Amino acid sequence: MSAGVLTPDQLQRERWRLRLRATRDFAGRYAKRPDGMVGALILLAFGVLAAAPEAFVGPLQTAVSAHGGRLDPPTAGFPLGTDEIGRDILNLTVHGARVSIVIGLLATVITVLIGAVVGIVAGFVGGRLDGALMRVTDFFLVIPTFVLALILTPIIRDIVGSGSTEVFGIRMTLIVIVVVIGITSWSSTARIIRGQTLSLRERAFVDRARVVGAGPGAIMRRHILPNVVNLIVANAVLVFAGAVLTETTLSFVGLGDPFQPSWGQLLEAARSVGAPGLGAWWYFAPPGASIVLVVFAFTLVGAALDDLLNPKRRARR
Amino acid sequence: MGGSFVLHRIGVATATIVAIVMLNFVLFRLMPGSPERVILHGTPRVTPELLEATRERWGLNDPLFPDQFVKYVSATVQGDLGYSFVARGQTVTAVLGQRIWPTILLFGLGEIVAIAVGLALGAYSGWRRGGVIDYIGNGVSLLLYATPYFLLGMVLLLLFGVALRWFPTFGMTTAGASYDGPLDALADLGLHLALPLATVALGLIGQYAIVMRSSIVETLSEDYITTARAMGLRDGRILRAHAVPNALLPTVSLVAINLGYVVAGAITVEVVFNWPGLGTLTVEALQARDYPVLQGVFLLLSISVVLANLLADLVYGLLDPRVRT
Repeated sequence: MSAGVLTPDQLQRERWRLRLRATRDFAGRYAKRPDGMVGALILLAFGVLAAAPEAFVGPLQTAVSAHGGRLDPPTAGFPLGTDEIGRDILNLTVHGARVSIVIGLLATVITVLIGAVVGIVAGFVGGRLDGALMRVTDFFLVIPTFVLALILTPIIRDIVGSGSTEVFGIRMTLIVIVVVIGITSWSSTARIIRGQTLSLRERAFVDRARVVGAGPGAIMRRHILPNVVNLIVANAVLVFAGAVLTETTLSFVGLGDPFQPSWGQLLEAARSVGAPGLGAWWYFAPPGASIVLVVFAFTLVGAALDDLLNPKRRARR
Repeated sequence: MGGSFVLHRIGVATATIVAIVMLNFVLFRLMPGSPERVILHGTPRVTPELLEATRERWGLNDPLFPDQFVKYVSATVQGDLGYSFVARGQTVTAVLGQRIWPTILLFGLGEIVAIAVGLALGAYSGWRRGGVIDYIGNGVSLLLYATPYFLLGMVLLLLFGVALRWFPTFGMTTAGASYDGPLDALADLGLHLALPLATVALGLIGQYAIVMRSSIVETLSEDYITTARAMGLRDGRILRAHAVPNALLPTVSLVAINLGYVVAGAITVEVVFNWPGLGTLTVEALQARDYPVLQGVFLLLSISVVLANLLADLVYGLLDPRVRT
């Protein structure tokens, strides 16, 4: 291998071999983190529920198909009790997993996409563009973005109207929430990615690419991006936890969709019928515990990934 | 403190506030449906003449820029945020003025309690790293961090308000109560305050403890701590005189940055306990699509957060000469 030039075919194979080894290496190190593994297992369980809720509890119950009593405590027939119109809380919670997790994932994709593009471009291009982009980023970092999301959601909803179009099986009303979370929460991602890009820009391989004649677009795509992917992944996990919490809170103040209840929407419903005051703990405990578990698990996984992938942290140990 | 540092910070904060005011203008223009229809909402038999008169009266025939924009900015600067759609005849400023004090009371006290307990807990668990308190404290902090404020509120309400009946669960005072004296009234307020205050404080303690803990752990590996140990100083003195003051620095900016999130929590906690502050006002306005009030809330909360951040920056600069650049 050391003698002579590799053929493109060999080069490709060698690349895959190295990539596979790096992945296996990483998996080995991750498996040694008990907190990360606990988090991953919790997420796996909820992921399975979200992937096929019908397989576990049948189709989502509606006011028509509900057949339980009014706010019944848990019984053999309804292991988690019923809500104010007799729907099975277990059924609602499992279906809520799909809604909450899909919204969280979509919002994370938008957030990370905006944040990564802004961060890489600002860090690599530098100069005035960097100054301008960072001013916008700092603006979004300092203002209470939740309140902005609170105002933007009804305004955008009024603009796009309340059609019955669905994207990824999610109703338009909730897609608006996804977009609003995306455009209000990208700023910290952009900051982190920009910092890493700044240090990458000074590396020798970037200079070499430039000398060979690669344009700025190609350098950002082929040389900067692959080197910040680790950081993006670690950050995305934390962004997801935040997105789930934001969606929950937006739904709780009445911006959810009763026809496609997320966990936050269930909590809102529980509060508005006065479940805590009536002692109906079974109405809000299941969706509440689900949110806490999922966010907790994502925080654990995020911390583990951050320790393993973030070059700064790796250096410190 | 260097004058240019202070001036720069104040300049940035001012620019941010200007941007917030401009964003507010854009948001209002983004809304679908013409503003005159919003103004005339609920008026029977709208004639074209009335529509035109309204447009003229409210300056809607003027060009958006600069006329309408200048008018908007000068009104905003004078504290004129328009009229609430719902509370007819009341200005937004008056509505906000009535609802701001309960929020300040609840969150001011909540922050104080959380800072005191959170920092103490964080400092102790960082100091005794790997100890029992650290282990439990860390787990509890992470769990609290993952819990939405309102969920915590609902649990506390169920446990201490409904099951144990220790505290009232609704509003700020007992409806229709007559008090024997100011002390009696204060006791009633205190009872009503207990659960929402506990919710706010618990929600914040987790975050403050986590940051303070990692900050202490980092500080303890610094050379001057080793020096202090080598000088034979006692543990308690090293912690109080050397580790804690230095570890406090990052927490100062965290408290300020956090304010934005606290605001989100504020809104929901107030809803759970029907606390008559800005949070319940926001949700009422949201349900009634009372846009002027919503915008007023956005303006008020954003500017407060920016000012708090400015204050934190200046305090930080005062405490740590290294950042004064």
